[in-house]
Amino acid sequence: MSGLIRAEFRKVLTTKLWWGMLLGSMALAALGVIGQIASNGTSGNDTPGLDTTQTQQSVFSSAGAAGIFIMIVGIIGITTEYRHFTSRPTFLIEPRRGRVIVAKLLVFAVVGIVYSLVCVAEAIAIAVPWLSLKNVSVGWESKQIIAVLALTALGVAIYALVGVGIGVLIHNQIAAVIGSLAYFLVIENLISIIPGVKVIHKFLPGATANAITDLGHYNHDLLRWWQGAILLIAWGLFFAVLGWVLTVRSDVP
Amino acid sequence: MPGDAGRIVVSGLTKTFSGNVHAVEDLSFTVEPGSITGFLGPNGAGKTTTLRMILGLATPTRGTATVSGQRYDALRDPGLTVGAVLEATSFHPGRNARNHLRVYCAAAGIPDTRADEVLAQVGLTDSAKRSVKGFSMGMRQRLGLATALLGNPSVLILDEPANGLDPEGIAWLRRLLRHLAEAEGRTVLVSSHVLSEVEQTVDRVVIIARGRLVREGTLDQLGEGSSTGTIVRTPDPNGLTAALSGANGTLQPDDDGRVCIRGMEPAVVGHAAWQAHIELHELSAMRSDLEEIFLQLTAEGGDASTPPLPGGPARGAHPPGPQGPPPAGVAPTPGRSGQPSGGAS
Repeated sequence: MSGLIRAEFRKVLTTKLWWGMLLGSMALAALGVIGQIASNGTSGNDTPGLDTTQTQQSVFSSAGAAGIFIMIVGIIGITTEYRHFTSRPTFLIEPRRGRVIVAKLLVFAVVGIVYSLVCVAEAIAIAVPWLSLKNVSVGWESKQIIAVLALTALGVAIYALVGVGIGVLIHNQIAAVIGSLAYFLVIENLISIIPGVKVIHKFLPGATANAITDLGHYNHDLLRWWQGAILLIAWGLFFAVLGWVLTVRSDVP
Repeated sequence: MPGDAGRIVVSGLTKTFSGNVHAVEDLSFTVEPGSITGFLGPNGAGKTTTLRMILGLATPTRGTATVSGQRYDALRDPGLTVGAVLEATSFHPGRNARNHLRVYCAAAGIPDTRADEVLAQVGLTDSAKRSVKGFSMGMRQRLGLATALLGNPSVLILDEPANGLDPEGIAWLRRLLRHLAEAEGRTVLVSSHVLSEVEQTVDRVVIIARGRLVREGTLDQLGEGSSTGTIVRTPDPNGLTAALSGANGTLQPDDDGRVCIRGMEPAVVGHAAWQAHIELHELSAMRSDLEEIFLQLTAEGGDASTPPLPGGPARGAHPPGPQGPPPAGVAPTPGRSGQPSGGAS
């Protein structure tokens, strides 16, 4: 198993994907943080002032915007094997395909953690100097902010697992990436506003990811943060197990 | 199973795809260690599907395929036992050759230094740090071979390894495979849709068509029944007929004015013509054309309605060898399905 994990790390580190996607994730995290600070207090924005803990939490947790990007890293990490047929040598060396999937889940969890820590560090580097320029002090002493930073990193990292799960389920790279983007950016938002089905919205992957960073439970349409974390991990594993049952065991293309 | 080391046994193997398409049907054959076996058949005959089932990448509908007495997924160290190349496309284009190999070194527990060894063995040392996307088809074939050799396996399974190789590359591949089988005693199973590509390399052939076994045996056995002879062109065929009193039957020139004389060497024919003062415009040996036999066999396989092959016996005076009954000594196909696996020796 340790050999398989080392092999998966090498796969990640020996193409340009990892740093290209890291730059993309950092750009999304920066956009999230900058948008939160810049829009605060403008007309039509009724969020509380930047000096409140609630708003500071949402400023830092907006680095979680990178989660979608990290999910795509996970999707590509597995679909690239099928796209370039490296699934063949991979499964020739380890015919027990489940072990390969487990190694990938572990490796991309670590990749997700590294990405998320970078994005959170970036959020701090942008937000803290900017807030001090606005003469707003960050409420470190309440420990809430630090907890939110940790949970933002956690939520972003779990997205990598979800990505691997989706990739295990849908081997076509384009379909998996476009499909999951459409789901997280459009479809789930539609579900949240349709009467009748919107009660299930809080259990869906995107909403559970948002719940993770909502430490103060300000949004009552979401689950508690820990429920969200457990459910989002469960979603990732569910996709992976479903993919295992439906596609991984069948013939390797 | 002692004694089965390195032996590939395919027994009653059947693969049916959706829509009831039989890609492979009741296929049985054995590949012995220390020999090179050509796995031949036209495109779409089921060669790749069979190899994929041997390698555990595809699940048989029925039947079994074992390597060293075990199903592939039950082998203890498959990466160290079997090396395989299935079409030269299994690379990430952005990864360099050496890193490609090092990924599988890690997965199989092979020291990283082995990556450089196999790169040298296939002549890619200078390209080790180049991305695969810049590789020619021939270089990809070499890198595929390097991947297969990584675990120093006792069994090599290669699907169309000569595709994309230039003539020099094919000669190189031939020498490499001979070395691997003869000097190092490995089992080599190599598929091709062109007999001539592997004709000088293989010891035995397994020929399939439409998913079924057509012929299994040595190349000599395959060639038996097609006789040697001489092709001449002469303005006086009747005179030559008289001069060659020992020739079988009458000599009929084709539209080209060429005459085929079966069972006689060019030296004998030439001498007789010279003695009888008969003018010759051409005198050449008629080779036993294995490729033609191969084409004939694979065209017969299973489908009686197949029209005569274009480019087959084109010249009217060709010997009837290929159309004749199957040569003795080469096992015909039917009735092998009930054979227990591993029972061939």
